[in-house]
Amino acid sequence: MKSLTIRNLSKTYFDVHAGANVTAVRDLSLEVPAGEFVSIVGPSGCGKTTLLNMIAGFIPHTGGEILVGGHPVKGPGPDRGVVFQSFALFPWRTVLDNVAFGPKMRGVGRAEREKIAHEYLALAKLSAAAGRYPNELSGGMQQRVGVVRALANDPDVLLMDEPFASVDAQTRMTLQEELTRIWEQKRPTVIFITHDVPEAVFLGNRVVALSKGRVLEEIAVDLPRPRVWDDLNEDDRFKALSGRVLQLVRSA
Amino acid sequence: MTPLLLRAWSRYLRLTTQWPSIGTIVPFIPLIVAWWIVTEMRAFPPAFLPGPAEVVRSFGSLVYTGVLPEYLQDSLVRLAIGSFWGIALGVPLGILVGLSQPAHKALWPVLLFFQAIGDIAWLPILVIWFGYGLTTMTVIIVYTVIFPVVLNTVLGVRSIPVNMHRAAQSLGASRTRMLWEVVLPGALPNIMTGLRNGLGYGWRALIATEIIVGTSGIGFLMFDARRAGSVVEILLGMIILGSLWYIVDSWILAPIERATGQRWGLVTK
Repeated sequence: MKSLTIRNLSKTYFDVHAGANVTAVRDLSLEVPAGEFVSIVGPSGCGKTTLLNMIAGFIPHTGGEILVGGHPVKGPGPDRGVVFQSFALFPWRTVLDNVAFGPKMRGVGRAEREKIAHEYLALAKLSAAAGRYPNELSGGMQQRVGVVRALANDPDVLLMDEPFASVDAQTRMTLQEELTRIWEQKRPTVIFITHDVPEAVFLGNRVVALSKGRVLEEIAVDLPRPRVWDDLNEDDRFKALSGRVLQLVRSA
Repeated sequence: MTPLLLRAWSRYLRLTTQWPSIGTIVPFIPLIVAWWIVTEMRAFPPAFLPGPAEVVRSFGSLVYTGVLPEYLQDSLVRLAIGSFWGIALGVPLGILVGLSQPAHKALWPVLLFFQAIGDIAWLPILVIWFGYGLTTMTVIIVYTVIFPVVLNTVLGVRSIPVNMHRAAQSLGASRTRMLWEVVLPGALPNIMTGLRNGLGYGWRALIATEIIVGTSGIGFLMFDARRAGSVVEILLGMIILGSLWYIVDSWILAPIERATGQRWGLVTK
């Protein structure tokens, strides 16, 4: 696990429909130490997904720099694992082969990479689904696979783009609890993009509110771990923090 | 009456699940019976429309003399060669055009242009260039198979969600591995569709070509029979064409589709 440093990052692109230059991210700086879980919230169009896509290397940035463990980002790479809102599992691979995909690309032999995959599947309580194809699983289970597929490749930074936005509310709470549990066990550096304020507070060590491509405010979340919804739902500090972040996002 | 019919129907359903081939043959029974009745009623002179029994007899004698197996083999080998080259050239070309914007810009109009010049439209010039024979037939069938394969491969490659590429890249896949791990399997359901269409068109083009320039093959058999005025053999040829296609489709293409696109949930069953 490594740190992530973003300095004076900006993204300007030419919008064909508007016929003008649009600035999605401007002069954004963010420091994420190794092993921290940072939630990034903001209204639609605040630039949070653009930010994540630049960190992942899917789209180039037009100014500033992104450093992972001190090395500048140039295009996508296995040092930054990504969990997608649309899951993006490979439909033609079994669950086991999906999770073993990263190690396979690294050249890990079959026996070894399947051992790694089984270990991670057990972590997400997915062992029984190892031989199935993604389309045979529920949305919640598919995203569990998405999370452990990224983790099994042992990335320096884990990037999550509204990963639980397309599952139902009950499943979402379970997935959030499982993610904190896994994070507490593995301590990866995580950037978690969401528009769901309670989710951001529940998961993060820190919540960063974005507005118009800039950091509006950073709020430390000093709630004790392990975190479970049964404890936090009625917790006054959780409610106060959520209320403050919500206010920020709404004013943005 | 009704319960009896229902019972018979459920027994039939059980039978066809156990032996699917029975379900294939049964729908043809009324057709054959109707054919048999029409010929037995002498509605047409036998030389004009022979009955099923005569066609079966002619099948027997053509198998016995070795003509039919030889011609059948010739046609199937031509189809196999044509399909092989159609796939070997069509899939890589389709992937290139599907992935590369410049290649798409340069080649797409050309592909559409030549697709419009249907198989048989090439015959006059091919006969002048290559004469009556195997080369002409091979060119025609490759030409016919390749376009549906290329166009559908392009479609398949372009329909792969961008996040699929991104996921693979973020898991460390190199460009070459992306081809095997993402592009090819992602486009496979469309490639299969292209292949199915291509083989279907190719099979028809082959028979047409054999009729015009062939010296052997099922198409030639039928045309030769016309010369001899043998309607029996023409009918036999037609039945063979239909049966063979059914076999290729249900024994080769459909199982591949069941094992890939349908299994992966990319194609509805």
